[in-house]
Amino acid sequence: MAGEHPMTLSDAPQGVPERPPGAAFRGPETASRSLQERLAGHFFRLCAALAALAAAAVAVTLASETALFFAQVSPVRFFTELAWTPVAEEPRFGVLPLLAATAQITAGAAVVAFPLGLLTAIYLEYYSDPRADGILSAALVVLAAIPTVVYGYVALDFVTPALRNIWPSIEAYNGISACLVVGIMILPTVALLSRSALKAVPPSLVDAGLALGASPGRILVRGILPAASRGIAAALALAVARAAGETMIVTLAAGNQARLTWSPLEGLRTLTAYIAQASMGDAPAGTLEYRALFAVATVLFAFTFAVHALGGWLAGGRARQGSVRQ
Amino acid sequence: MKAFRHQGAIAGVCSLAAGVTLAAGMTLLAVLLVQARGVLDFGFLLGAPSRFAAQAGVGPALAGTLWLTLLTAALACPVGVGAAVYFEEYAPRTRATRAIESAITTLAGVPPVVFGVAGLALFARGLGLGPTVLAGGLTLAMLALPTVLATSKEAIRQVPSGVRTAAYALGATRWEVIRRQVLPAAAPAIVTGVTLALARTAGAAAPLLVIGAASFINYAPGTPGDPLTALPTQVFAWSARSQPGFAAVAASAAVVLLALLLLLHLVSLALRRRLSKAAR
Repeated sequence: MAGEHPMTLSDAPQGVPERPPGAAFRGPETASRSLQERLAGHFFRLCAALAALAAAAVAVTLASETALFFAQVSPVRFFTELAWTPVAEEPRFGVLPLLAATAQITAGAAVVAFPLGLLTAIYLEYYSDPRADGILSAALVVLAAIPTVVYGYVALDFVTPALRNIWPSIEAYNGISACLVVGIMILPTVALLSRSALKAVPPSLVDAGLALGASPGRILVRGILPAASRGIAAALALAVARAAGETMIVTLAAGNQARLTWSPLEGLRTLTAYIAQASMGDAPAGTLEYRALFAVATVLFAFTFAVHALGGWLAGGRARQGSVRQ
Repeated sequence: MKAFRHQGAIAGVCSLAAGVTLAAGMTLLAVLLVQARGVLDFGFLLGAPSRFAAQAGVGPALAGTLWLTLLTAALACPVGVGAAVYFEEYAPRTRATRAIESAITTLAGVPPVVFGVAGLALFARGLGLGPTVLAGGLTLAMLALPTVLATSKEAIRQVPSGVRTAAYALGATRWEVIRRQVLPAAAPAIVTGVTLALARTAGAAAPLLVIGAASFINYAPGTPGDPLTALPTQVFAWSARSQPGFAAVAASAAVVLLALLLLLHLVSLALRRRLSKAAR
């Protein structure tokens, strides 16, 4: 943070020239004016300090409780044991079933959302008329604005019963319903961000393709999509991070049995669902069970952070690539 | 790109995908409205939760969500916008400030449930607040803060630097430049960001669940110290019940929640209109 020096124009933001010397240009230097100036500076600095404090508090809390957890449970057991039974008589803390469930549901959601979202983006950018664009864009905004608990309700009460018509043996809590609905939930993210990636492709690319006599389909597949691929990958990365952190849909639709299974018709329990259900506010502080919440939250934090970083790197790469092109 | 229109199989596949997307949105809303029909009335809006689906209402949950949204706005807006002003207008461009900025904005991508865990340790347990409206409001404020900060920073950055230069040239001090020029010009975009953050927190169930939101509070919270109850967690609690009748109740609560979010967006739209008129 900046030191406690009086406000001078030399520390004005970059792009702002030095104020011309001489008091003639300034308004009257009244006491109230300089007091206001000082108070405002203090207020904004305080706000920034509070924001930084809040961020630090989140990080330190997670880290310290997780450290206490790993003092009792070895990280090797945490990442290699195949059972997660924190409240059993002999509790076992193998995070793999939770991690696998998160990976499965996230992958399933990506399989739903990626083709649908990308094709919708292509439709919006290259094929729609203004009216269809308006309706579809509005639908995407509405889908993006719906709280995830509402999606969860629809998954449990509409999608699972509908799937029972196809697979009568489906369990009340199952992976496939969660995959489908999480996929729909991240669909706006994929579609809207992919569309901006397509928008960023220089029109000259299309003109060049047309001049060479390529068909629109060929221009799309061989020209536009490769040029936009990093942006589209970044869109997918952000959507995947959201899917992995999604809590309410999986808690309601996929259930709370921590198990390793490949069947999409069976229930499973993700990292997020464990946090939501195990806590409910009454895990006694200081117990191993309470600290396990933080360890799981840290794993989730690390996973989404890594995916976000990947997305940011891809998006940054796209910007660099674009500037080289021009 | 008119050359692309109505050509070949790709156009067909893309239109199909767009149709599926549209259908998914329509189905979602239709399911809610069909289920909620017959349950949603004034008695439901004002009544308290009940063991019997026919008598259940969202009164306390609705009041709880209004409280939480007010608290979140009151806490996250001044701090988020103020910090954005500091980082854009005051902070020296050093490596350290940039690192702090990016650390805070990174939190915008952290899943809400993680904030719940942090809020449980910091507010419900650390400050001894327990599962109260205040603990919920503080947690949601932490969730909203990175979004408010990031969008406000972007809004302030969009103000052309010529506006600042001109004001400085006329002899304005830095605070005068911020108050009279930068903030009014950035206000509509700041309101958009704040609305986004508040809509996200008003619909957030997971962090409140982790802190310990109750689903059987039968009186509306009157002070921030009252037990935590909110619409999203109420939707969750009713969805999870298997007794017949509660599906319709859950759908109705979901419709109330969506109506509240719509209202929030409409208020924001009106506010933005006024602000951009005032800025001109």
